[in-house]
Amino acid sequence: MAVQDAIPAPQAVEDTAGTVRRKRILRHAGIFLTLILMWEFGSRIGWLDPLFYPRPSNIMRSFWLIYFQNGNVWYHLYATMSLVFLGWIGGSILGIGLGSLVGFNSVLRRFLKPYVIVLEATPRIAVAPLLIAALGFGASSKIAIIVLVCFFAPFINTLSGVMNVDEDRLELFRSMRASKMQVLRKLVLPDAVPIIMAGERLALTAALSGALVAEFIQRDEGIGSLILVYTRNLNMASAFACIFTLTILGFLIFKGMEKIDFYVAFWKYEGGRERVSAKRRAAMEGPDHA
Amino acid sequence: MKMFKAMMLSTALVVTAMPSVSFAQDVTISVIKPTPRSAVFFPLVVGEALGYFEDEGITVNLLPSDTSIPYVAFVQNGQADLAMLDPNETINARLAGANINTVYEVMQNAPEGIAVLAGGDFTSMTDLVGTTVGLVSDRDRAFLQAALDISGYSIDDVQTVVLGESGPTLAAAIRDGNVSAISGSVFDWAALVANGIEIDTVTPEELLASPANTLAMNADMIEESRDAMEGFFRAWSKGMHVGATNPDAVEAMLRKAVPEEWEVEAAGMGLFQGVLPMNISTTERMGDMQADVWTSVQPRMVSSGAIAEAVDVSTFLNDTYIEAANNFDKAEVEADAAAWLAAN
Repeated sequence: MAVQDAIPAPQAVEDTAGTVRRKRILRHAGIFLTLILMWEFGSRIGWLDPLFYPRPSNIMRSFWLIYFQNGNVWYHLYATMSLVFLGWIGGSILGIGLGSLVGFNSVLRRFLKPYVIVLEATPRIAVAPLLIAALGFGASSKIAIIVLVCFFAPFINTLSGVMNVDEDRLELFRSMRASKMQVLRKLVLPDAVPIIMAGERLALTAALSGALVAEFIQRDEGIGSLILVYTRNLNMASAFACIFTLTILGFLIFKGMEKIDFYVAFWKYEGGRERVSAKRRAAMEGPDHA
Repeated sequence: MKMFKAMMLSTALVVTAMPSVSFAQDVTISVIKPTPRSAVFFPLVVGEALGYFEDEGITVNLLPSDTSIPYVAFVQNGQADLAMLDPNETINARLAGANINTVYEVMQNAPEGIAVLAGGDFTSMTDLVGTTVGLVSDRDRAFLQAALDISGYSIDDVQTVVLGESGPTLAAAIRDGNVSAISGSVFDWAALVANGIEIDTVTPEELLASPANTLAMNADMIEESRDAMEGFFRAWSKGMHVGATNPDAVEAMLRKAVPEEWEVEAAGMGLFQGVLPMNISTTERMGDMQADVWTSVQPRMVSSGAIAEAVDVSTFLNDTYIEAANNFDKAEVEADAAAWLAAN
């Protein structure tokens, strides 16, 4: 048998990968469906307490009710997501900004780091009522809670990203008389960005929890306040529909951040540099060469 | 280009002028209370549905908050115009030197109660001695203290645990016998009953006649806010009057304004039927101060430890808005409600 015959054609490799992927998805869907059916069955025959585990069929009905029939969830969803993104942006700017400053400046590091560590050790949720009392009722205090909740991951990751530059490479840059800006652009940032992006991913999912905490205390709007209404009325199917909405949102946020990371910190992914180089080359050559 | 610039300028002018035109006469009244818009305080929903607050030039800004938030502090620092307080909270705030006045009684019969499982082992306050009693919130401790005091016991004779407002926790705690009773309110029982958990109350009769969820404000602001406050309470009283004369209209308004409370029909109806009489004043004038009741409940509060000492009610009960709050044409309000119901 010739060696050529032993090596599968690229198309065949792609087909195999697609089949494996499909099988994996089907397997996960199967497990998920089985769990849901067991839950439904368990609820129907009384094994599961309906106070805590409403039937999946009732939860589906509640999804229909709150999204389409009554449509009351949209307003709350908008309120929660606005808070999440505003708080995340605020926390990120503060975290990355302060992390960079502290990382680059040893004097600042000496003075600020202990405070940040103490603040991180303080349970932020316990501070939430005080923040509301201090800043007043409304979006500003809710955003402040979210900023506080999601500040630390970008801060710590930026700090460690900036601080953990490879010493040998730094020495090499210095020996080649690289300017400070060159060191930052060509050495520090490429090393730090993947870590900062990991911090951002954590911050965004934490922002969702922060928004919920804020809405549990200030109950004017948002999915958190809606969950409180439903649980108080023992309408657990709708409460679960809201909780699953948050789960789906959290998953989508995480996946979205992964996608952003794929483009922003492309060099850490296999073939990332080649992909971007090819795109840049194509852009430089213009549409005629395409 | 000139044309384009002129269009841009006029658009900018219209956009910037619009808010000032449409909201020029509006006054916003911020109210800090435990729940968002709900059947629990339906006069607000009715007043908004029939446009009574709008007619008075008032926008109601609700600040629904967890009870861990210091409500009185919000009134004192001006972040809230009104705070919904229970009598012991009002008196304790006065004793702490807060210059607040109670200006409207939203509920004149206590919605609070001590609930036990129907047909269970606990049938009286005496049975609760030596057991664990659940509290829906820290606010309910004072009520339990008073109930035990009337029955000849003290709060030290029972163990207490704060269960929170979550329905499943309350339901499981009482159903599974983790607590002997729950100190809460009619709002908490409605969902339990709707879910097949039958309850009885063992609340001493003496505690039923007590103001609850009263609205208090900064005493220094009473004259300054007179017009707005009179309008606010008039709109609230109109909503209350609709509750007394046309419950069907109120029910329909609630179904529309707070659909989340009606997704489970039995729970929605149970809550509505429970809160309807609570929100209708028993005094001749709606929302009026019951000075004698406030005076009579205080010794009980003192002996149970809910307040440190009694306070002269004339120092904080202020009925200055009540006359204006009741000054409206009742027939007109009834016609408005009937017309709304017919149209919806």
